Amino acid sequence: MACLHDHSCEEHDCSSDWSLYKHIDLSKVSALNEAVSGSVKSVFRAWEQRLNSSEGHLESNEGDPELIVFIPFTSDVKIKSISIVGGAGGTSPAKMRAFINRDGIDFSDAQSMQPVQEWDLVENLQGVLEYQTRYSRFQSVGNITLHFPENFGGETTQIHYIGLKGEATQLKRDVVATIVYELRPNPSDHKTRSETGGGLSQVE
Amino acid sequence: MVLEATMICIDNSEWMRNGDYSPNRFQAQADAVNLICGAKTQSNPENTVGVLTMAGKGVRVLVTPTSDLGKILACMHGLEIGGEMNLAAGIQVAQLALKHRQNKKQQQRIIVFAGGPVKYDKKVLEMIGRKLKKNNVSLDVVNFGEEDEGKAEKLEALVAAVNNNDSSHVVHVPPGPSALSDVLISTPIFTGDGEGGSSFAAAAAAAAGGVSGFEFGVDPNLDPELALALRVSMEEERARQEAAAKKAAEEATKQESGEQPSASQDATTISENVNTGTTEPEIKTKDLMDDDNALLLEALAMSMDESSSAVATRDTEMSEAAADDHDLQLALQLSVQEGTKDQSNQTEMNKLLGDQSFVSSILASLPGVDPNDPSVKDLLASMQSQSESQQNKDEDKAPKEEEKK
Repeated sequence: MACLHDHSCEEHDCSSDWSLYKHIDLSKVSALNEAVSGSVKSVFRAWEQRLNSSEGHLESNEGDPELIVFIPFTSDVKIKSISIVGGAGGTSPAKMRAFINRDGIDFSDAQSMQPVQEWDLVENLQGVLEYQTRYSRFQSVGNITLHFPENFGGETTQIHYIGLKGEATQLKRDVVATIVYELRPNPSDHKTRSETGGGLSQVE
Repeated sequence: MVLEATMICIDNSEWMRNGDYSPNRFQAQADAVNLICGAKTQSNPENTVGVLTMAGKGVRVLVTPTSDLGKILACMHGLEIGGEMNLAAGIQVAQLALKHRQNKKQQQRIIVFAGGPVKYDKKVLEMIGRKLKKNNVSLDVVNFGEEDEGKAEKLEALVAAVNNNDSSHVVHVPPGPSALSDVLISTPIFTGDGEGGSSFAAAAAAAAGGVSGFEFGVDPNLDPELALALRVSMEEERARQEAAAKKAAEEATKQESGEQPSASQDATTISENVNTGTTEPEIKTKDLMDDDNALLLEALAMSMDESSSAVATRDTEMSEAAADDHDLQLALQLSVQEGTKDQSNQTEMNKLLGDQSFVSSILASLPGVDPNDPSVKDLLASMQSQSESQQNKDEDKAPKEEEKK
């Protein structure tokens, strides 16, 4: 399901289409089997910067080409297509499997579960290829997990850029972000409306 | 305060009957496990810990990761020793138990107690280690008990394969006089957690051996204001001593004006010296030290008559004063006040403190301090040994204090 980017970029601004990276919750992005912890955050950039991996790239451990990338969003998004820029010398990923709205997928889960969609990738060092999604299945994506099970024969798998094209809705998923533990209730923290003035007070 | 789910793998093989760790290897291991569970649950209330045994009839999960410390401690009872330790299966079952943890946000950690010999070879262990690393699981290994050929090497290779960014450690504990848990407290297995683990460990160490790892014997985490006030007053005292050394000639003339600040200063010294080691009497003393101005003036008047009686009065007044929490206020007072320290008065104070009977009489008058408390007794014993030479001089002062009281 690959299609070539068949127009020159001077005519319109491609980068605005690929702007879903702005809606990624970067602090919660994680990867499994990455050689350098935290390097996965460097693969999400603007479209113009897709070939500029001066900040680092995502690489798997020696001798093990599998990678799992977990991408949560700050609000629900619709994903139209995905672009992957891999590394040279056989280190590009060969297959991609996507799971939607699942937390904590590890390698045994990924191998046994049926993905929402699966793609065969080709080496895409210039970042001109994009892989379309079955749009109806990618309508309200809170987080997406990408599993790259194999590569083109290299010792490791390298990913320099992951681009997501689509639209962001403004809907947010309900998540309890911070929990405050109270050992003893402090009445000043729990002012009722009647105390602060205004509003109906409860009859008990 | 890292959010973590931990699985502890216990070795209950036949090799744990040996007594080279006191009382026997199994009991030492159980104590260490209790300590680790406490440290983990204390450092973060959402941490969970689970336990499984590796020997016996087979690998058996005693309790799945839970934050209920009582459940974990209860499951350690009635464990039977027997069989051979199965390291690979134990680690794999631990990994599975962690995979099915309820809170997926927790980091995964496995702690293995390897007492018996390891029958797997290095390659198998390295493969297991790589699989753990791939799934982002950290591993800590405690190597104790049997000293097999190659066991240490194999465990080092295993941890090296798992290690990602220094999150996994292997600790070798040879048999010796100190308990297994005490040795572990100082290792990265406890301190690698960050401040949470180490403060618990330090508190445990203080409770166990009366040795405090903190300045002034007060845990800054438990009582930051007290620790701050003590630190400030100690620095003030040092500065004051230097100033006094320079102005030694003017002592006599400045004694009157110097009494007021030195009164509270000496009270500070009392609290500092009494504070080494125990926590309860310290807090009481510090609180009692917060005299109002009226009390200070009284002390000043008394000290003008006779220095030693002033001390006694101050002490009795201290014991009667309400325990207000003005630690910081006092520290500020000290820093604002000027004046030289009364050299002779200071030396007298040290002698008085060296006298065990005097100190015990102070402590007896403090509310809530039981002189028969073992920690208080330890403190008194240590103070006695420090000032043995001064006891003769103190004896005539001690009866005076007894009279005044």
